[in-house]
Amino acid sequence: MAEIANTLFNGLSLGSIYLLVALGLSVTFGLMGIINMAHGEFVMIGAYMAYVMQQIFAALFGRSGSLYYIAAIPFAFAVTFLLGCIMERTLVTRLYGRKMDSLLATWGISLILQQAARSIFGSQGVNVNAPDFLKSGIQIGGCTFSYNRIFIICMVAACLGAVWFLMNKSSFGAQMRATMQNRAMAQCMGINTKKVDCLTFALGSGLAGVAGCSVALLGSVDSTVGQSYIVYSFMTVVLGGVGNLLGTVLGAMIIGFSSIIVEAYQSASIARAIVLFMIIVFLQFRPRGLFTIRSRSLDE
Amino acid sequence: MRRKTMTGNLLAKAVALMASVAMAVTVSGCASISSTSGEAEGTIKVGLLHSMTGSMAISEQAVLDAEKLAISEINASGGVLGCQVAYQEEDGASDPATFATKAEKLIDQDGISTVFGCWTSSSRKAVKSIFEDYDALLFYPVQYEGMEASGNIVYTGAAPNQQIVPAVEYLIDQGYTKFFLLGSDYVFPRTANMIINAQVKAAGLEVVGEEYADMTQTDFAAIIAKIEEAQPDVIVNTLNGTGNVSFFKQMAEKNYTSDTYMTMSFSIAEEEVSTIGADILKGHMVSWNYYQTTDTPENEAFVSAYKKAYGDTRVTSDPAEAAYDAVYLWKAACEKAGSFEVDKVIAAIESGDISYKAPEGTVTITGSNHHLAKPVRIGAVGEDGLIYEVYATDSPVEPDPYLETYDWAVSAGIKPLE
Amino acid sequence: MRRLKGNHICFTVIAVMLACSPFLVGSSSMVQFLGKCMCYSIVAIALDLIWGYTGMLSLGHGIYFCLGGYAMAMYLRLRDNGGALTDFMQTGGLTKLPFFWKPFLSFPLAMLLVILVPGVLAAVIGYFVFRSRIKGVYFSIITQALTWAAYSLFIANSKYTGGNNGITDFTSVFGSTRGVANRGHLTAMFFVALAALVLVYLLASWLVNSKFGKLLIAIRDGENRTFFSGYCVNQYKNFIYTLSAVLAGIGGALFVNFNGSITPSQMTIAYSITMVVWVAVGGRGTVIGAVIGAFFINLCEYNLSSGALAGIWQYIVGAIFGVTILFFKGGIVGIVKEQIPALFARLQSAPAAEKEKKEAA
Repeated sequence: MAEIANTLFNGLSLGSIYLLVALGLSVTFGLMGIINMAHGEFVMIGAYMAYVMQQIFAALFGRSGSLYYIAAIPFAFAVTFLLGCIMERTLVTRLYGRKMDSLLATWGISLILQQAARSIFGSQGVNVNAPDFLKSGIQIGGCTFSYNRIFIICMVAACLGAVWFLMNKSSFGAQMRATMQNRAMAQCMGINTKKVDCLTFALGSGLAGVAGCSVALLGSVDSTVGQSYIVYSFMTVVLGGVGNLLGTVLGAMIIGFSSIIVEAYQSASIARAIVLFMIIVFLQFRPRGLFTIRSRSLDE
Repeated sequence: MRRKTMTGNLLAKAVALMASVAMAVTVSGCASISSTSGEAEGTIKVGLLHSMTGSMAISEQAVLDAEKLAISEINASGGVLGCQVAYQEEDGASDPATFATKAEKLIDQDGISTVFGCWTSSSRKAVKSIFEDYDALLFYPVQYEGMEASGNIVYTGAAPNQQIVPAVEYLIDQGYTKFFLLGSDYVFPRTANMIINAQVKAAGLEVVGEEYADMTQTDFAAIIAKIEEAQPDVIVNTLNGTGNVSFFKQMAEKNYTSDTYMTMSFSIAEEEVSTIGADILKGHMVSWNYYQTTDTPENEAFVSAYKKAYGDTRVTSDPAEAAYDAVYLWKAACEKAGSFEVDKVIAAIESGDISYKAPEGTVTITGSNHHLAKPVRIGAVGEDGLIYEVYATDSPVEPDPYLETYDWAVSAGIKPLE
Repeated sequence: MRRLKGNHICFTVIAVMLACSPFLVGSSSMVQFLGKCMCYSIVAIALDLIWGYTGMLSLGHGIYFCLGGYAMAMYLRLRDNGGALTDFMQTGGLTKLPFFWKPFLSFPLAMLLVILVPGVLAAVIGYFVFRSRIKGVYFSIITQALTWAAYSLFIANSKYTGGNNGITDFTSVFGSTRGVANRGHLTAMFFVALAALVLVYLLASWLVNSKFGKLLIAIRDGENRTFFSGYCVNQYKNFIYTLSAVLAGIGGALFVNFNGSITPSQMTIAYSITMVVWVAVGGRGTVIGAVIGAFFINLCEYNLSSGALAGIWQYIVGAIFGVTILFFKGGIVGIVKEQIPALFARLQSAPAAEKEKKEAA
């Protein structure tokens, strides 16, 4: 029983991490059709921002304490949001409608950002201490549920709710959806589509920054951290169906749970190969993912 | 019509331009050949070949820094054989093929015969035959899995019998009986675990599990679940790089400390402790030949010079120290040979008389296999993030890369047949 | 027709220069490196065929490069050790040669497998992927995932593949190519690679200028229209994808002869994208562009990524790539062929226009 609970919890938490990373991507890729290969590097920046906040707190109050982490999340969001804005204005804005080119150009950016991280913070990784309230976990029966993982699950739920609300209930969301569905018409209706594009992309980047804060507590913070997540997050979005929030959630959970379950019986490398292969086979049957927006258009 | 001709002309010009650029690149490449033989007026040039970019830059930077420190110290004290030491850095970019290309470039094109470099076994293996074919000399500064003794490489890190074997012996002496072997999925952990398996079985004890994490693995939940199920009393950890950070952070998340599961790690040095956090690693054991806390006058000087050069927050570690020693050992070998020529230097090395009073204690190159005789130290991580010795051998341990002097290893057939 | 000739002149110049280089260049490491660059060019042409011409961006050509490389390396390794068990097999606990290593004891079979292994894998993958109409960026993402899966498999099965150390300790088909004594071997190997490059170039040029090539371009520019015109698009795509994989495999097989080792690092996603960089910078959609790009980027990297420049090189390559994609879609070839003539035309017409203006006033 404890074992099953443990597996379920591990699957849920891994799925949440993937979801948190993929959420921003599902906005930029799903809504805007921009393949942002530098998304992983925005996660990395988020993780480094947690470190920066920790150092600032340590410098101001003598010790970093726990509060730094609370401050780090909005800070990471703000920084990556701003960087996303800049990147959209300078680069991405020239790439609308050129999906493959957007993939390649942003890969160039990811190289630059990785090197920048090495130049600024050094090649060696940095340490982000877990805040006191996220250390350890609660013990129920035979298994331990760590506060950190629970926190991540809550955070992903919060982000998901916020994005859903923003997209479906706010006027900005309506503008965003209108722009993405029919740009020309949206412009005619007086929507500032440039602004919408910029903010949408920045939102996606900002979400990556938030994900970075969580990732920082789970592993190493160094220039390569983004690379470990990028493929899975693309697979998440593709598996779930591009442009569908619910699809992304399901996609992330499927990948998370299947990774944990397969890894219980196989070595990690084999498990990864199996999971990726399963997704590819699945896409044979549903090339557009779990949820597709039905359309009569042949060329998308 | 006019436009077309113009295009044609331009194209011809462009071709010519490109050709000349390509030629210039090629020629500038070989121009250095005629002029340099590695020994310009009063300087001797050595190569430093490490990953400055890519995933291995995280580890290799410290080694590179230590090598540069040793070179500048040697230059300040008069150089080697009256020559100042210059160095050329090349970036291996964490890719073995790039290491091979760059090694060949250093040796053949730039006329450099002595190179300090590599970290991963894959990069060393990729350049090994190059150093052999060109008859050049590589100083390799990292502990590794053994099973190799090239005549053109000097291994200044630990052979398996100077790190892995004594660590497991120590664990057995301490009364641990159930071993769990955890490593990254690459050659060092696999070979190390082959050795440990043989050693543990020969002692009549039990290996309760063996798991390999992917090199880029970030989630260790499934592996931790396997450990919980196997209930070992000690985890022998050969994870490398970022895997260690994720593993220990996620163990800490579940309230596991060194009291619940003791670990013995082979790739966690002071650098890694500072990125994982001392609070998490407190009490866990590691096995190396050197710690920053090692109590010798040479080490005091080394640590203060290192911190002076690279900042107070930097820590020294075993690989950095081994790289630092490598430069001094090369100096000693050249001085004994009275020459920089590789053949003579190798002859000097193989005489078995090359030793150096290193920060870890006196190290001597064993002539027959080019490894170092060096002391072995088991350490435990302290609360301040430094590693403190809990056990040390009385005298330097002779290197035995193929474990030929261990009966259990011989009967398990560990030495490769090839 | 004129454009075409320019391409061929350019390639001839490159090929002649390459043919002279073993005799002109003193350092054998440079010759060795040019040899590797030729192998990279072959892969770049392979990639250009499917990306530049057919519009399918594969982020996983490292797999095919590596498969060809491994096939060759397995043969060379067994030849050099007399068919004995390798060290990594022994570490993995094997006692006899695995069955799939056995064909590599014979040279003709190994050569056949250099072509067959990447070819068959690509044909199977292509069949399924194109059948379910996965295209565009979805294709890129799937190939990326496949690459990662294949990489993991190679790492995990280290007793068969040598894990991340790969296969090392072997010499080229002709024997060792390093040092002055083996210069003859190196020259021979160099000319084999050059011949392969020339053949691949000719094949690719012939192909893209044939009716088949026009169809590829048609697929790139309007897949559905081509389909509705009665062409079986999937089969064309699968054919060119398979051919491309085979060429990449040949490039890999030649590469290990120069490199003396092969590791899974060559099949990572990052390396596969590096291959795309060569094509993009050289100029996609032109065969010559792929060759120029592969040489240009690699020669720059060879000379620039040392010393203090190592870090800066990452900025440079990232920036070159970004700028190329953003502003110079045609890469170097595009700049030479379009941007520069356009600039000249503007410069020439500007005074004329001014004059006209004055006259009108």
